[in-house]
Amino acid sequence: MNSLAVEPGSTVAYPTGDWRNQRPVYRDKWPPCGQTCPAEEDIQVWLGLASDRQWEAAWRALTERNPLPAVMGRVCYHPCERACNRTHLDGPVNIHGVERHLGDLALEHGWRHHLLTEQPQTQQVAVVGTGPAGLSCAFQLARRGYPVTLFDARSTPGGTLSSGIPGYRLPKSVLQGEIDAILALGIQLKLNTRIGVEIGADTLREEFAAVFLAVGALQPRTYPDDGYGGHSVMTGVDFLRRINDGERLSLPKHVAVIGGGNTAIDAARCARRLGAEVTVVCPQDPHGSHGGHPGAEMPASLDEVIQAEAEGVRLRYRVGVRRLVRSGAHLSGVEIARVDQIHDRHGRFNPVLFEGTEEFLPAGLAVFAIGQEVDWRGLEALVEPRASSVFIGGDAAGQPRFAATAVGSGYQAAMSIIAFLTGAPSQYRHHDKAEVTFRDIKPQYYPKQVRREGELMVASPGGFSERVAGLDGDAALVEAGRCLSCGVCFACDNCWHFCPDAAVIKQMGGYRIDYDYCKGCGICAAECPCGHIDMEREAG
Amino acid sequence: MDTRDTFRHNVLTSGHRACSGCGEAMAARMVVDLIGPDAIYVNATGCLQVFTTHNQQSAWQAPWIHSVFANAAAVASGVEAALRARGKDTPVVVQAGDGGTFDIGLQCLSGMIERGHDVLFVCYDNEAYMNTGVQRSSSTPHAVRTTTTPPGRLSEGKHHLKKDLISIIAAHQMPYAATATVAYFPDLKAKVEKAMRIKGPRFLHVLSPCPLGWDHDAALSVTVARLAVETGLFPLIEMEYGAVTGVMRLARQRPVEEYLKLQGRFKHLFADKEGAAEIRHLQALADANIRRYGLLDARTEWDTDRAVQAQRQGRGGYAVSPKETSL
Ligand SMILES: Cc1cc2nc3c(=O)[nH]c(=O)nc-3n(C[C@H](O)[C@H](O)[C@H](O)COP(=O)(O)OP(=O)(O)OC[C@H]3O[C@@H](n4cnc5c(N)ncnc54)[C@H](O)[C@@H]3O)c2cc1C
Ligand SMILES: Cc1ncc(C[n+]2csc(CCOP(=O)(O)OP(=O)(O)O)c2C)c(N)n1
Ligand code: SF4
Ligand code: SF4
Ligand code: SF4
Ligand code: SF4
Ligand SMILES: [Mg+2]
Repeated sequence: MNSLAVEPGSTVAYPTGDWRNQRPVYRDKWPPCGQTCPAEEDIQVWLGLASDRQWEAAWRALTERNPLPAVMGRVCYHPCERACNRTHLDGPVNIHGVERHLGDLALEHGWRHHLLTEQPQTQQVAVVGTGPAGLSCAFQLARRGYPVTLFDARSTPGGTLSSGIPGYRLPKSVLQGEIDAILALGIQLKLNTRIGVEIGADTLREEFAAVFLAVGALQPRTYPDDGYGGHSVMTGVDFLRRINDGERLSLPKHVAVIGGGNTAIDAARCARRLGAEVTVVCPQDPHGSHGGHPGAEMPASLDEVIQAEAEGVRLRYRVGVRRLVRSGAHLSGVEIARVDQIHDRHGRFNPVLFEGTEEFLPAGLAVFAIGQEVDWRGLEALVEPRASSVFIGGDAAGQPRFAATAVGSGYQAAMSIIAFLTGAPSQYRHHDKAEVTFRDIKPQYYPKQVRREGELMVASPGGFSERVAGLDGDAALVEAGRCLSCGVCFACDNCWHFCPDAAVIKQMGGYRIDYDYCKGCGICAAECPCGHIDMEREAG
Repeated sequence: MDTRDTFRHNVLTSGHRACSGCGEAMAARMVVDLIGPDAIYVNATGCLQVFTTHNQQSAWQAPWIHSVFANAAAVASGVEAALRARGKDTPVVVQAGDGGTFDIGLQCLSGMIERGHDVLFVCYDNEAYMNTGVQRSSSTPHAVRTTTTPPGRLSEGKHHLKKDLISIIAAHQMPYAATATVAYFPDLKAKVEKAMRIKGPRFLHVLSPCPLGWDHDAALSVTVARLAVETGLFPLIEMEYGAVTGVMRLARQRPVEEYLKLQGRFKHLFADKEGAAEIRHLQALADANIRRYGLLDARTEWDTDRAVQAQRQGRGGYAVSPKETSL
């Protein structure tokens, strides 16, 4: 490559690059937060923008994948934070807090989503269900010019976000605000329209070039032998729907809620707000008792459980209901007993109870929240067999049943639908950038900073006002700034300062390595705080 | 003229022949880009001079002159006097290794300071005569292996202690003397810029790891420099007219082993109990530095954690002359 230069002049005529046996490469990685987010948000990117106070740009980057940040920042159980590399330094970034702040800013300022194309498409798409899956799919299609009609059997949009999640966790106005912004892209909304009843499944298939079924899993599960029906017994889903629809239920003094999931906790906290003494009959053991083993520990989110207990909800762990105790039609309580096995041989929820451990739990109302199933009735013509123009997502497609999972599945469905309609391959890409773990992070370059939390507001008895406050602008800025920017250059200049060979060139918009001179020492990679630089063996 | 980089002048540019990972090249590149191309650089003999000027090629993009090994400070004194005679105030900067500063260059340096020349003298301290094959200097720390202090049955490496140069310099009652290293760019920048604002003789002592002579992985030059400070072995201080006016507080003190074990020049200390005693000795020397300068309890807002913390868009850059950026 070079000869021994003898011309007088600059050493730049002497490329030292051929001394090298390894080369540094700048490479964007996919941080664990985004890899874990079920909506596949590029979290690091929008945190970076937020930390530069580019709030609107951050919101736009976030809503590339998730048009419901104000909602998700409140209700998502934020698996992203459990994966966050910052955990190993001083605590995870409060990702959901910043997400919520961005969503709230958008609502406050009335930011509107932009179309990705000026060119309208002609093929009509029907989306059945206005839960997060349906909204996400409709949003992605509409931004790409497709005419979308959203159907829902209910009179309010939002699916389980509206009918299941209580207002103290997700104010209706927040949900409605984000839905309005989505609809403003030109989406047609048809409420009070159950497919299979008001409009036939056949008709839908004929009139629309593609159909997305995001009908949720709204059919409450019951015990195998259903001696548990009757007066003063409700399912969690129905109980919550009635409350969410504004019905003022008057409850007996004692309420028993059966189940260990989030629906059970929501039902219990609502019943408590309506003035009842509430006991949750949870078949599993408490959080942390089995080292996080799924199935053995209560599945409800720990934060929710803590708040429920603080509000006076009583929890009984590892007990199940043997029978309802009635005097006549009137429910006087439930007989509970210690649980041996929770699931039967088929993996079906069917607790086996120890004889001789029975107790009486007084209850004038028993709320069963033991899971839900998909209700396919009326939709058979679309799914049996499934036509190639029919797509299924969200809770209806399977586990895990979380709001952010539904959002992610709506995005994927939109990409599949476009691929189907255009005949081109799907634009959906699972994030396939290399991972970056805490081992790639150089912690000395980051100041320790305590994590900011949204404050718990005093729970007013009987009140359904929001319980957890958001982060204010300053706290959101600090939290966004706590992001280590795992695997993604944040222009700290380290590589540029430290390169002994002037082989790191800084330019507007970034850095580049001048391989004519880089000797491959590896200092840039060793001192890049965030693991953006890889050293690779030179061939030969 | 190399104008690849619009954000720094690259006064010391690419194509130089320093070893891969050279801490001296790194240190010099930072210092000279902080000062900029509008200065006259005088260089003593040593690695920096040899690896930047080779086969009629120069890596310097600024006026640069090589003196000999001993007399860089005397040459700089003359340059400064000549400029003064012609009514110019172009900055004059001397660059020398530890051999050219602690040993053979010391009397010229002392004279330059004593006569009050308006010159910045920068010593790039790699703790031995590296250019000629790693011979010990009076800057080489205690117990280090060099080619002239080989450890063996009768020796644990260099017997004598590292010379306390900064105290000698400060005893000249000069305006500004400071120690620095490559691992803390914001600190180095502040010190160079402060030195450039002061008139009269100024001295900057920059610890510059040497992967060859210290026998550490080339990728670790910055890490090793950081540990030299964090162990207390190389205190970062500022002195004005003989008094200590600034220290970099240690956010925490690291045991000297963390520093020593990365470097082959200390490897023999981990082999036997005589070596272990020398490690205790080096620890005691570090502890003595910490006590002497109050490195753990100095009331400063600056500490070793704050000084390394990375920021979006960096923590400051270099003097870039307008004529270059307009290119
Ligand atoms: C009480 C409760 C609390 C929850 N809390 C959380 C939480 O805090 N965080 C979290 O991540 N997840 C939570 N979940 C789960 C989360 O709500 C769901 O995973 C998510 O809403 C699923 O979205 P989806 O779009 O698939 O379906 P859904 O949100 O259930 O929406 C389905 C919609 O389809 C409509 N529909 C159904 N059939 C038809 C038909 N034939 N024709 C027309 N419309 C039809 C329904 O009316 C409904 O509006 C909770 C669930 C429950 C039950
Ligand atoms: C008077 C004189 N003696 C010896 C030499 C040989 N020599 C050249 S550089 C050097 C050592 C330089 O050591 P130092 O000043 O520490 O610089 P480094 O190479 O370590 O950067 C020696 C001994 C010389 N050039 N002139
Ligand atoms: S949707 Fe959930 S997992 Fe994704 S960023 Fe928001 S809080 Fe985290
Ligand atoms: S520090 Fe930032 S980029 Fe890294 S995992 Fe956490 S949120 Fe993601
Ligand atoms: S620091 Fe410079 S020379 Fe060393 S590997 Fe990086 S780019 Fe190459
Ligand atoms: S060292 Fe800093 S500037 Fe260089 S790649 Fe890493 S983050 Fe970017
Ligand atoms: Mg030397």
